Parts: sequence; C-alpha cells; structure tokens
Amino acid sequence: MTMATAQQTFFDDVAAATAIPELAKGPLSEPILMRWSAAIENWHRIHYDRDFAISHDKLPNLAINGTLKQQFVVQCLRRWAGPAGWLWKVSFQFRALNLVGETLRIWARISDKRELADYGLVDLELGILNDVDRESTPGTAVVALPYRNRGAGVPYPFVPPHESVIS
Amino acid sequence: MALLTAEIEALIGMESEPVAACDAVERGAVRRFAQASLDDDAIYHDDGAASRFQGPVAPPLFPMTMFREDFGTPDVLTERAGDPDFDGIVGATVQGLPPLPVKGLALLNGGTEVEFFAYARHGSRIIAKSRYETIYEKAGKSGPMLFVVIATDYAADGQLLLRVRKTQIRR
Repeated sequence: MTMATAQQTFFDDVAAATAIPELAKGPLSEPILMRWSAAIENWHRIHYDRDFAISHDKLPNLAINGTLKQQFVVQCLRRWAGPAGWLWKVSFQFRALNLVGETLRIWARISDKRELADYGLVDLELGILNDVDRESTPGTAVVALPYRNRGAGVPYPFVPPHESVIS
Repeated sequence: MALLTAEIEALIGMESEPVAACDAVERGAVRRFAQASLDDDAIYHDDGAASRFQGPVAPPLFPMTMFREDFGTPDVLTERAGDPDFDGIVGATVQGLPPLPVKGLALLNGGTEVEFFAYARHGSRIIAKSRYETIYEKAGKSGPMLFVVIATDYAADGQLLLRVRKTQIRR
C-alpha cells in the first residue's frame, strides 16, 4: 500500500492518551546497515566494520545509525498523518545504542490536541523500542491533521500557524 | 573554570555563508535513499501520488545528507587507509561555521529538533545556511558543560524546506 492510497487520519477522530500504530523495522542486518551507510556516504566504521567497532571503539557490536533511526521516526509519523496531513515538528535524543540484528518498534502517543481554524495540531510523545523493550530514542512531535468536514485543510508548503519555535 | 569565554560568546548569532550541495536532487539518489531507509512511499517517484507536491519529491530528511565531498576534494579514505585509528568520519558536520575554540572537550549529541515546511523536488539544488543560535553553560555532575545549539536552514528554489537544530554538549 502506498501513501497515495493510505487512509487519512482526521483531527476529529483522534484523542489524547491514545497510541498511533507502531512501525516495526527489522531485524536490521549487516547488509541493511551497509546499504544505508552507502546511500548517505557515511563511512563511520562502527556501522559496518565489526572488528573496529568492538576492538577499537569498545562497542558490543555494529551500531545502527542514528540517521537511520530518525528516518523511521519520520516514516511512522507521516504514515499516520496520511496524505493530507503534515509532520511539522519532530525532536529526539539518542540516549542509547541500538545494535545490528535488532528489530526496532517506533511508537508514538498523543499527549494533546489543539484546534485551529483550518486544521488541528496534535502533540505526541514518541520513542524507539528494541526486542527487549528498551527505549533508545525518546522525543516529541507535532502533526497537523485536517478536519473531516470543515476548514481549508493543511497548507502545502506548510506555513506555521504561529511563531516557529520548537517546544 | 568557566567554559563560556568571551571568544566563544562572540560566536552566538554568527551565521555561515550559504553553502550549496555539490549535486542536485537526483532520482537515483532518492531511490537509493528511500530503499535504504526501508521507505516505500510512492511520492518519491510517482507523479500521481506526488500531486500535492507538483511532482516527485525526496524524503523529508534527504536534504541533510546532501552535503558530500565534491569532485576535486582530497580523498580522506585513501589518505588514511593505513591508519588503524581512523574512524571513517569524513567532512564537516556543520556547513560553513567556524569550529568552536575549545580544546580537549568531549563532544556529545544533545538531541535534534526538526521543523518541516516543504519537500525537495527532483532536480532542485539544496542550499544550507547555519548559525550558532545560542551557547550557554550549565553545571554538570562532573563539572561545567557547554550547550551549543546550531540551527541550519535547508532551502531550494527560494523555499525553506526544513530547519534543523542540533544541540552539542561539550564537557
């Protein structure tokens, strides 16, 4: 299924304290990490050179790229926002390593919602859990969602509704 | 000892000159990026799916990875091929800003914040501009720490695409 045919999420239908669908990625194998490093031309050896990662940098194993994890967070939120929504803000901290072979589950939960004239804003808390439910990447996000039967919808390009400050 | 010296404080607000990515947004690079990030969104290649954007676009965070080593750049991988301590990191992490004048301080990633305004269309040339948004000192358990917030705007064709704020912790 593509985003073009994805179901649209409407502001009217979401409620605080509810979770959005998780996005699972993995197991994230050596070839998957190598392909990501090559795609963005990042040659940091801890992502593909196991001997260097373990012997030199004293890591337990190859590290999953933080840049790859942030793609997954954005994908999770955009899929939920749907083709007429907009992921406005996202923030995260890399608090713990994730290692090759892990399957990651990106989660988010609605913390608040605010109505504007033409669309609504939804605040979320988010994170990334691994196979043993250890949190590695806590963060927050703000997603703009259209109303079901009112308002002009979410503009593109997105114009922030007020001063553009990440909170 | 205070870490926030007058020399460092003078950097607050300093902006870089605009820096252009060495390549335009190319379909092949977008394809490799999307496949490598396990993202099957059709807006990266299908005109119909991308109608909201007037044509196929790159993944939202793609512009951040566009600043690479151009033709004529010395090849660090070759130069340091015999160095067992070379970690493989090549190029600047912040485009166009002078390095912080600190010596012997560890660098920690204090988090990333991103605002999205538009997506880069195929064929666009990405321009980045960075600034030291704020630098402040806090007391930590093991001594003083500097918090350095660097904001980078990525734009194309006169349209701001995304604004990224990275917090570096130096201690």
